[in-house]
Amino acid sequence: MANKVFSVKEISKSFGSEKNGNYMEVIKNISMDIYEKEFIVILGNSGCGKSTYLKILGGIESATTGSMELNGENIGACIPPEKLKKFGFVFQNNNLLPWRTAEGNLRIMLKIMKLKGEQWEKRIDEMLEIVGLLDYKKVYPHELSGGMKQRVGIARALVHDPDILILDQPLGALDAITRKMLSYELLNIWKKTQKTIVMVTNNVDEAILLANRIFVLSNKPAVITHEIEVDIPVEERNTMIGQNARYNELREQINNIIRATR
Amino acid sequence: MAKNEAITQRKKKEKKDPVNIIAPLVVLAIIYVGLEIGLRVFDVPAYVMPTPTNILIGTIKSFDIILPDLLFTIKIICIGFCIAIPAGIVLAALFSQFDIIVKAMQPVVIWLVITPMITLIPLMTLWLGTDPNLRVIVVIIQATPIICLNTLNGFIHVEQEKLEFAKSIGASKFETFIHITFMNALPQVFTGIKLGCIFSTIGAVSADFVSRGMGLGDRIIKFLKYSNFEQSYGCIVLIALIGISLYTIVSAIEKRIVLWKK
Ligand SMILES: Nc1ncnc2c1ncn2[C@@H]1O[C@H](COP(=O)(O)OP(=O)(O)OP(=O)(O)O)[C@@H](O)[C@H]1O
Ligand SMILES: [Mg+2]
Repeated sequence: MANKVFSVKEISKSFGSEKNGNYMEVIKNISMDIYEKEFIVILGNSGCGKSTYLKILGGIESATTGSMELNGENIGACIPPEKLKKFGFVFQNNNLLPWRTAEGNLRIMLKIMKLKGEQWEKRIDEMLEIVGLLDYKKVYPHELSGGMKQRVGIARALVHDPDILILDQPLGALDAITRKMLSYELLNIWKKTQKTIVMVTNNVDEAILLANRIFVLSNKPAVITHEIEVDIPVEERNTMIGQNARYNELREQINNIIRATR
Repeated sequence: MAKNEAITQRKKKEKKDPVNIIAPLVVLAIIYVGLEIGLRVFDVPAYVMPTPTNILIGTIKSFDIILPDLLFTIKIICIGFCIAIPAGIVLAALFSQFDIIVKAMQPVVIWLVITPMITLIPLMTLWLGTDPNLRVIVVIIQATPIICLNTLNGFIHVEQEKLEFAKSIGASKFETFIHITFMNALPQVFTGIKLGCIFSTIGAVSADFVSRGMGLGDRIIKFLKYSNFEQSYGCIVLIALIGISLYTIVSAIEKRIVLWKK
């Protein structure tokens, strides 16, 4: 592993206030060092605070306490606006803008981030090509299937060439077959684009297929209970991974951890 | 292959279904013929309702008298309507910036929509009489609240996730408003404008009734005085036609702009 690109230091997040009686601690003292080109997967039960954690990493929310470091520079408890270009966020429910075509959904990123010029225009097509939807660039989201929408969401998060891609259960809303297919596609996108990825999922198989490190979170307030290295070489990660002995061993181990998580 | 599929799908949607045009025309013809026969068979006197053919003939004969009033009313409606649209939208935009103002103003706007402006007109006659063109003000007062109400409704009901997306790409408050809030509300803005067409027409004609001297509303009463029932009804039809034309224009523009509605 090369250099540390992003580092999270003792981040906590709470909502409400004790005075109003609705105080709720959602995540607690999470620390994580993320190295270049890593694929980090976070596993946790529903409602444990995974989205909340990713929203802090993606600059949507600020942490209550703790700080973050981007390329060695301390950026405090909230990603400053000028650093948002370094991140690409894929939402839990695709979250495309229905009034923009597939292409338009990518273009708004460039517009807001003030990335002008030929090379960025070309990148819109390149990213749609990567997710296999170049033919659908002029199509509105309501004419796309669930899987296609999610792929546009991924292309959108990549179009401004971020350093870190953050994915919040990107395949969560899909049927099992599409999900499996897209998870291999995600693996290919990672190989092709060489991005650092942080992804949340609730699917163990998906986690082992994709991750090089898996973090397991406890229930609310979320703390990291386990950190697991997935030492399966990239070459062995393909549709045949189910026959890999190490894969099955890890699968057993993680399933046991999750069963015991409370 | 996939490309062709997507394109035919779009073509199919864009192609106009002739039934949509023919069906209302057939209904119109049936009403015309039905009225013509019914009114003759039951020997309905002209002061209750003249036959459609007589209305047509009477109106064409007196068209040179009606024309100045028709043009005046069209002018009043169009100017008032064209001021009411931006006024309604800008007011809604201002109100929507602050939660407190939304809470405070929403009931006020609803009162304004519900209060028939015609009740205010007698109070306005004092100064309305000074210049017939001031009737534009009645149109504005009548149409602005309904446009404002619908637009405001669209502005304040934006999915949290869409705003989070804007935040994740570092959009400014203004950019978020233009690209997210406004676009999201556009269907409702058009609903408001379409209702505004109807309200504008009502406003202009009620102003004519009260402050007299000009306009189609005034012309209806003048014809009635001399028992020209056919011409009176003709004016009513013309007023309806103004409203319908405005509505049709707005709908056509909506169809070209709001392409993402299913
Ligand atoms: N803005 C907020 N205000 C108050 N409470 C919140 C807010 N956002 C999240 N929460 C609470 O934080 C907890 C964690 O929510 P979060 O969305 O992070 O869960 P999650 O792990 O992503 O769940 P899932 O797997 O179902 O998506 C929930 O109990 C939720 O009610
Ligand atoms: Mg979530």
